[in-house]
Amino acid sequence: MPSLLILSLVLGAIGLFLVMPGGRTGRARVGLVTLAAAGGALAAGLCAGQDGRGLFAGCALVALFAAVRVITHKRPVYSALYFVLLVVAVAALLLLMDAEFLAAALIIIYAGAILVTYIFVIMLAQQSRPAPYDAKAREPFWGCLAGFALLALLAVRLFSGTAAMPATVLAGTVEGVGTRLLTEYVIGIQLAGLLLLAALVGAIAIARRRPANEMLPEGDE
Amino acid sequence: MMLVPYLLLGAVLFSLGLIGFVTRRNLIIMFLCTEMMFQGIIVNLVALGRYPLHGQPTLDGQVFALFLIAVAAAEAALGLALVVLLYRYRGTLDAGAWSALKDE
Repeated sequence: MPSLLILSLVLGAIGLFLVMPGGRTGRARVGLVTLAAAGGALAAGLCAGQDGRGLFAGCALVALFAAVRVITHKRPVYSALYFVLLVVAVAALLLLMDAEFLAAALIIIYAGAILVTYIFVIMLAQQSRPAPYDAKAREPFWGCLAGFALLALLAVRLFSGTAAMPATVLAGTVEGVGTRLLTEYVIGIQLAGLLLLAALVGAIAIARRRPANEMLPEGDE
Repeated sequence: MMLVPYLLLGAVLFSLGLIGFVTRRNLIIMFLCTEMMFQGIIVNLVALGRYPLHGQPTLDGQVFALFLIAVAAAEAALGLALVVLLYRYRGTLDAGAWSALKDE
């Protein structure tokens, strides 16, 4: 495993701990600088001496920046908006892997449908001022330590010996994915439809139940 | 060899989602973090389909990623319905307001 990657993992853990909500502003600024250094080390470690990885590194850095902002921003609406940026960056990465149809589907479904649902719920439960439970993280030290321990384990396993092989061209993915979906995986797609229907009915059944001691801020019924 | 960088990125996204899920106290942000873990898994699946360890590239990774998106949509609908219900009970989105079952 390259030493630059170890450096970026350590820097990332420290920086993420520093930018977690609850600290002072000076601490968060130091954390942001540390995180930027970690991202630079990661990009340098992944792209050193390799051609054609600039686009990948750019998209990956945008995705990582957006992901860090999602889990550290104190306002839930901004977290949701940064998640949209993350989805767009991941879609760009899928385009780099010749998965055009999946990239379009990801943006339409995630950024267009799922995130809109999130923003609806955030608006529904909006507080007039930043809530205390958003301003302070719960056990940021142990959370960062556990997450980066898992990440270090995965990275060590990833870099412990994989054989290099040429990547061949994969053409016509829209046609290919559609054919696969409707021939080989036709049972799966029917089950997915059934799952979505069940989730729809279940969500309505859960959300329309009225608790006895309703505590909505303003009684609108 | 492009497989390892993509897998590493997927692992980083998954870990960041995990850290967010553990450390944030807002129920909505916790669900958003599970969606972030899904993004990491999608990157992993598509990368393994595009740069397989043996043989030719296949489209199975993309098909599985599509099923994963369907599951994520179902999970978001049910999870947010539960969040709305919990908000009606307590008037707050703090996960700590629901710690009555905690073993202490």
